[in-house]
Amino acid sequence: MRPLDPRLLRYAAAARTFFGVGVLLGIVKTIATVAFCLVLSQAIVGAIAGRSFTELLPDIMTLAGVGILRAATIWVMDVASARGASVVKSQLRRRLVTGLARLGPGWLNGRNRVDLVTTAGAGLDALDGYFSLFLPQLILTAIATPLVIVVIFLEDVTSGILVVIALPLIPIFMILIGLATRAVQRRQWLVLAQLSSRFLDVVGGLATLKIFGRQHRQAARIESLTESYRIETMKVLRISFLSGFTLELIGSLSVALVAVSVGLRLIDGSLGLAVGLFVLLLAPEAFLPLRQVGANFHAAADGIAAAEDIFEILDAAQAVTREAEALGGRATSLIRSELRFTEVSVRHEGRVAVDRFSAVIRPGRLTVLAGPSGSGKSSLVAALLGFVPFDGTIEIGGAAAVDDRRSRTAWAGQEAPLLEGTIASNVALGALQPDVTLVRRALALAALGSLDPELPVSVTGSGLSGGQAARVVAARAIYRGIDRFCPVLVFDEPSAALDSRAEAQLLRGLRRLADEGHTVLVVSHRPAIIAAADENIELGVALRV
Amino acid sequence: MSDITSDITSDIRMNADSPTVAVLRLAQPPLGRFMPGVFFGVISALSSVGLLATSAWLITRAAEHPPILFLGAAIVGVRAFALLRGSARYVERLSSHDAAFRQLSALRVGIYRRLVPLAPDGLRGSARGAGRGDLLARLVNDVDELQNMPLRVVQPLLVTVVTAVLSVVGVSIVLPSAGVALAVALLLAFGAATLVQSAIAGRAERSIAPLRGALADQLLDYVSNIDVLVAFDALAGRIARVEAADHRLRVATLARAGGAGATSAILAALATLASAAALLVGVSALGHGLEGPALTVIALIPLAVFEVVASAPLALGAFRQVYASARRVADATPTNISREIPTEPAAPRSGPAPQPSPAPQTGPRAESVPVLQLTDVGACWPGESGTAFSGLNLSLRRGDRVVVEGVSGSGKTTLAHVLVRFLDYTGSYRIGGVESRQLSGDSVRDIVGLCEQSPYLFDEDIRQNLLFAHDSATDEQLVAVLARVGLADWMRERGGLSARVGDGGALVSGGQAQRLALARALLANFPVIVFDEPTANVDPELATQLMRDILTVAGDDTGDDQRTVIVISHTPIPADLVSHRVRLETPDWTFPEGPAIHTHTGDDR
Repeated sequence: MRPLDPRLLRYAAAARTFFGVGVLLGIVKTIATVAFCLVLSQAIVGAIAGRSFTELLPDIMTLAGVGILRAATIWVMDVASARGASVVKSQLRRRLVTGLARLGPGWLNGRNRVDLVTTAGAGLDALDGYFSLFLPQLILTAIATPLVIVVIFLEDVTSGILVVIALPLIPIFMILIGLATRAVQRRQWLVLAQLSSRFLDVVGGLATLKIFGRQHRQAARIESLTESYRIETMKVLRISFLSGFTLELIGSLSVALVAVSVGLRLIDGSLGLAVGLFVLLLAPEAFLPLRQVGANFHAAADGIAAAEDIFEILDAAQAVTREAEALGGRATSLIRSELRFTEVSVRHEGRVAVDRFSAVIRPGRLTVLAGPSGSGKSSLVAALLGFVPFDGTIEIGGAAAVDDRRSRTAWAGQEAPLLEGTIASNVALGALQPDVTLVRRALALAALGSLDPELPVSVTGSGLSGGQAARVVAARAIYRGIDRFCPVLVFDEPSAALDSRAEAQLLRGLRRLADEGHTVLVVSHRPAIIAAADENIELGVALRV
Repeated sequence: MSDITSDITSDIRMNADSPTVAVLRLAQPPLGRFMPGVFFGVISALSSVGLLATSAWLITRAAEHPPILFLGAAIVGVRAFALLRGSARYVERLSSHDAAFRQLSALRVGIYRRLVPLAPDGLRGSARGAGRGDLLARLVNDVDELQNMPLRVVQPLLVTVVTAVLSVVGVSIVLPSAGVALAVALLLAFGAATLVQSAIAGRAERSIAPLRGALADQLLDYVSNIDVLVAFDALAGRIARVEAADHRLRVATLARAGGAGATSAILAALATLASAAALLVGVSALGHGLEGPALTVIALIPLAVFEVVASAPLALGAFRQVYASARRVADATPTNISREIPTEPAAPRSGPAPQPSPAPQTGPRAESVPVLQLTDVGACWPGESGTAFSGLNLSLRRGDRVVVEGVSGSGKTTLAHVLVRFLDYTGSYRIGGVESRQLSGDSVRDIVGLCEQSPYLFDEDIRQNLLFAHDSATDEQLVAVLARVGLADWMRERGGLSARVGDGGALVSGGQAQRLALARALLANFPVIVFDEPTANVDPELATQLMRDILTVAGDDTGDDQRTVIVISHTPIPADLVSHRVRLETPDWTFPEGPAIHTHTGDDR
């Protein structure tokens, strides 16, 4: 593992600030520590030399003062770490969220969204440990260790040599153990991520498992997965703790060597007690930051592994070159426009979903696009919205650019996901200033006139029945179509979850929109809708290649 | 004192059997596995103190120029403590982590076992109420957080207390007044740490977990709806909402950081003061029974002890987090199951448990006992006022094909869940002549199977998604059943049985998911199958075929073993396919969409 990924500094500006503050505090803290050891050793030597209580009092007061100064630096450092971690996490999340927008819905298809949310949420929290436990110690290793060694050398060359001989062993062991840890570390993170989605998968599917009487067997499965998690993690820990062990061992053995060597030289009088005590107190301080780095190595590795997952997405997002968000001039009136597909082919996962489809869908008409499962109805809609790449051209009123198509289209998807908020905020999605009257009208046109627009909707729409959610989604498209003067309205299976009464009502709404001059395209297989349509386009199953 | 602190104290003092404490107990490894870690932890901590004490004594004594022989024991001691500190710590960490991870199995399984009787309708936050992202945050984060109970709470606290007490005793033997000074400093440290933790950190912490959940919800909302947001130019607004949730979390986290930093600063200051105090009392005692080397020892020991004690505030902080997680886990998986959720019947005092008789019978009696008999049945959802439906009468015999019709919200799904005993009922519901309340849920579901409205597909391959319905089925059987439900071509196209269905069945359309569910039900060979809106997302020509398949499934099986099929649907079904029709109405049915809308914020916890 790289203790410091340069991408962290690149993607999160707050990490750079944190380094600046950390270096400054590191210097202050080191000076305070050296002063503390000096004053303490001199006070002890003074007392042993027989100085009186009153003579020693100023020394002891200074000691307390320096100690409190050091405590204050520790506090500021902790706050700076936490602040740094929080801001860096926010910056990474922000970049991730905008990066995902740039990568678009096509990239997200087939990816585990729960994993992604875990990575961006709880996964990133692993950076807390990296910032609070690891980075400050890394900075101190670069500042305190050399400074302390210089002071020891100035005081007692022999002790200085002992420390300097022991110190290089630490990076050598760090590298060796680090290399061994790397591979297992990565695997542990994968196992963890898999296990977290597995546990959720089991909980999510518990009803299904109960139906088949399989709920009891899952306990054993969770047990065996967790057991393999333990085995994987212990493999990592055995090695990563080994580095901590080596560091502690080298640290304490060096202190022991310094103590014994100082002691022996004190006997023959070649060294003073003041120097001896000072060096004894300082020697551990040379190793302390490195010991902390070692002890918190695995916490840091978790953080880095989590951050790397984010970096990979951010790198991918950076590779996507996209023309700037051209919002264009907003339409001020409805311009009747036809939707024209010319020789459109869509490939999906290596097979041809749509093969050279051509059609003209006219304004003022209610057009139904029908066809069996897999005939590419939804792929055509995705192509229209620019969610999947395609060959051929799709134009609305003669404009073929993806942003033009999007700004002229209002779409109601089949999956019917609603967003957290209210019915009104869902219907007026994307509008800068929601128009309550228009929300009511859109709901009425979508056969939901009796629904209170102020009703809250929880995340992913839970709380509404399937039929209600589908009609809110339709109302959302209707609102946008009217508000933004979108000439094209697309409804993907709007009545799948509706009974015939509600379906007939929705159909009247769609008819009304067509009469007002919109180009209304309904993807549906329902006989009632096909019967009510002005135009019917039947998609056959495309040729398989 | 913050609320959580008083909750913690009241829970521990007054109510050792509180649900939260029960969850915490699940996380704590048994003593035999736990104590070795504590033992080695104490050895390591004492070695740390011992190393500094013997080194200090050695140096000061050496300055008095004694014969070198007098120092031999101290030199050996210094080296031994140096070796022991690192080794004991290594063994401690391995042993405590291993114990905690072993306990994680028991913990996850324990939580899972609590979920089983609740699912799906009694699990708080599952279907209605809190969002899925929050459920995710709760069960994954909180259960894993519980692991910190032994690792970061109990273990360091025990090690700290034992080391601190032994050090105070040691210093007191040398100079009682210095021992008192150290004890006072340690008690002050403990008091200050606790106060600061609850005063500054407690308030922020209570809000952190919900905020984390809220952020996960916003992220999930954003990630799940990115296509809609792009199509509606609404990305900016949603990104702002994610950022707002992120901001709230950040502010709360920063407030807590101030507390943690203050605590370690107070400890560092107290360590210095303890050292200074030892010097002060030591200087006066010097020459009156206190030697120079001993003065050095009592002046330096506080520094080493406080280094060990520094882990105590972290442990207290960790406990607050662990406790909050345990409380949320306990809340999400209540042990007092709400009355709408069926409980398993108590084992009868004598005689065998009642058994329904789904097995084929011959003679006139077979005709006389209905497979299912519902008399004046009603039901409602947990936490909802009013019944979803009531007064339903239905009698089904072997081979019957029944359609239950009703508009959206008339309680069709409720009925489906009653039939498989996910929900309790009023009135009488007999299976093979036995009241189903007297049967275990599993034995009801041995007979009555359900194809859910949105079938759950596991993030596995097609084979695994079928096999769990009938685990001894061969690949040939799986392929055959897929052909029966019209998925043979689809399966081949996707690349065979080993093709994955994606997260939550993301790579499978609604109709295909329904067919997979049907395939599972056929494999499981239920005598009675309930279908909840099977054709909602299927093409018309396939839908008719699918409906025909469903309703003729019983006929495919020869002999007496004819299946009973119940289809719940709002779409018309050809008359020649059905033997009965039942219309479902609710008495207090006011709004066409039925159940009230549940708000996220309304989930009060």
